[in-house]
Amino acid sequence: MSGRPLTGIRVLDFGLLTAGANTSAMLGDLGADVIKIESGAYLDPFRVVGKTDDGEGWWNRSPQFRFTNRNKRGLALNLKDPEGQRVIRELAAHCDVVVENFRRGVLDRAGLGYGDLRALNPRLVFAAISSQGDTGPERMNVSFGSTLDATSGIASLTGYEGEEPRISGMDVNYPDQIVSLFATGIVIAAVTEARRTGKGAFLDFSQREVASFTLGEEILAASADPAHRLAPRGNGEAGVAQQDAYRCADGKWLAVTLEAPDSSIEAFCAGKHRDTALAVLLGKGIAAAPCLDGNDLLRDTALQGVTLVRDENGGLVKGLPYRLDGEGLAIERPAPHLGQHTDEVLRELLGYDEARLKQLNDSGVTSTTPTIGEV
Amino acid sequence: MTEASSRPLSRFTLIEVNDAKVPLCLRLATSLAAKIAADLGADVVKVEPPGGDPVRRAPPMLPQGGSALFEFLNTSKRSLMLDLASESGRAALAGLVEQADIVLFEEPASVAETLRKAKATPVEIAAFPVEMDASRRPVSELAIQALGGLMHMIGEPERKPLKLAGHQASYAAGLTAFTGLMAALAARDTGRRAPAVRVSLAEVMQWVNWKAASGAAASGISPGREGRNSEFQVLPCRDGHVAVVYTVTQWPATRALIGDPRLDDPKFSTRAGRRQNIAELYAALAPWFADKTREEIQKVAQARGVPFGPIFSPAELLQTEQYLARGFLAEMAHPIEGRLRLPQLPVQWNGRSFAPRPAPELAP
Repeated sequence: MSGRPLTGIRVLDFGLLTAGANTSAMLGDLGADVIKIESGAYLDPFRVVGKTDDGEGWWNRSPQFRFTNRNKRGLALNLKDPEGQRVIRELAAHCDVVVENFRRGVLDRAGLGYGDLRALNPRLVFAAISSQGDTGPERMNVSFGSTLDATSGIASLTGYEGEEPRISGMDVNYPDQIVSLFATGIVIAAVTEARRTGKGAFLDFSQREVASFTLGEEILAASADPAHRLAPRGNGEAGVAQQDAYRCADGKWLAVTLEAPDSSIEAFCAGKHRDTALAVLLGKGIAAAPCLDGNDLLRDTALQGVTLVRDENGGLVKGLPYRLDGEGLAIERPAPHLGQHTDEVLRELLGYDEARLKQLNDSGVTSTTPTIGEV
Repeated sequence: MTEASSRPLSRFTLIEVNDAKVPLCLRLATSLAAKIAADLGADVVKVEPPGGDPVRRAPPMLPQGGSALFEFLNTSKRSLMLDLASESGRAALAGLVEQADIVLFEEPASVAETLRKAKATPVEIAAFPVEMDASRRPVSELAIQALGGLMHMIGEPERKPLKLAGHQASYAAGLTAFTGLMAALAARDTGRRAPAVRVSLAEVMQWVNWKAASGAAASGISPGREGRNSEFQVLPCRDGHVAVVYTVTQWPATRALIGDPRLDDPKFSTRAGRRQNIAELYAALAPWFADKTREEIQKVAQARGVPFGPIFSPAELLQTEQYLARGFLAEMAHPIEGRLRLPQLPVQWNGRSFAPRPAPELAP
């Protein structure tokens, strides 16, 4: 595996939930060595959100956590303990990239902000992913998923025509999902620059800005034309003659895009089962597609492509959004248990001996169990 | 980083091949990926068909007749018109690609077969996974949002499913293609053989909508649009709408913020209870919003750590304090349209932004 694009790059991953953890996962999938830092006192919330039972080790069984944390080694080091902070600073000297999506200021207060770590490692590329970015009057604002559908502009154009705006909702949280698709590429650009120049970079990502960026032409049009229409648009699209979802005889929905208006399409769909209507429309060269649900996506392995894979334990894992040389995701290791690789990594990178590892464990700096009850 | 030479990708050359016969949703993805590289300093040559990229005439339109869509997607590029139906056009393209690091094109493009074998690393945009064997199947933005399961998630359960606004299928794929091309450039830069990149809109949309599949796998029941039964809904306020969003741990703060005694009823104290009594819950929440502005609501909610989302339109974003403070919306002097404003790349790199150059005019 020495020939992969990011072989030889090491990532210190403080990423949580989707935006941060998935950026590191994508770097790991490209061959980087990702070491994920959690703490017994603060687990990745996906370990908790996805809790399936109350038994011993429940924090290692969350499907949501498993979905986004393959190909990582897991460390548990207490960020609030000065000793834990010291260990992390030592690790940072051996890393090329830091990924974090804490609320602004958290790592600075622990002496682990970009300024602290750059002093130890000037080549470090530090990716800070936050709701609003690292500067500006709203930098400390909290958001959760669909907050950013609202504040980015996406919600204002989404919804039934003539009705109120709509958000993607908690089962999609769309703005959280797209950040890593962009941030990963920028991190790679900065790593490439750091290799050439010896100088790292602070990369400040605002998730709200990434979401607004997807409406670039609308913002641009609004800047030039105050009359540019901005309201929920149903399923229509400027420049498309006719486009909507139509209910078929079996109650299923078919999405259809027409190059010329056709008032008969609604009745046509209503009179046929969806799959029959779909075949007829595709045969006529019309872009039509069934509105699938999660079970349909699980069943249709051809449509899935490389987006879903199973790890060695049979657990479903989020695959890749692209393929390189035709290949999908190679899972070299399943998502780590809490602190599974703490000792291994501290031995390998920092040369810690058994006495030192035992001392860190005895003093609660490292752990493999949550150190507080309900997190 | 105002000088192109100091931008991170200034050492690299990319060729973007536009084929007017390829479905629009694929071409937009290609153009977005190449635009990001161009704004980062790469020399991007956009090869346009005779008459130009049809997106030059695609809405939304600008007052002087230009296309906002084209202007957004083609900043910082150069343009070259080539007739790829002619031998001389194809030869000219081959010459360009010979000198380039990356060539971007779409699966159904007439020159795809040749470009896959080019010395430049191919970055290919397709509609569907190779497993579907559907390279000629008709496709659209809406069709991809339907197939990827996104439409199933938005709207009222008894009414038709809705698309998410904008070219989300195209743009999510464009962002993905950008990351793919960066992986290829990183490999080339260290002397490794760069992998060929293939991105399909259908795969990206499913990947983005992964909670649908994971939810279905966990419980057997697919998540879906819940409309008036969802935990997060949109409520009207004095000057618009606000998305009601809070996590389980933020519920006590949310209840305290609204301060309506009805919310103290024990049936609302658990998430399950709130879901079971959702209509009643929203009836108790709504009056608090009705007489306040979005700005007031955001201010008092944030003071308590409650992540309500005031809904802003793209026009309002032009005045947003946070965006003004960060300089997110660049001013761009366009030779014909005059002063335009548009989002820059959503990253600040050591505090610097990447101001875009206007999209190229069509050269004869």
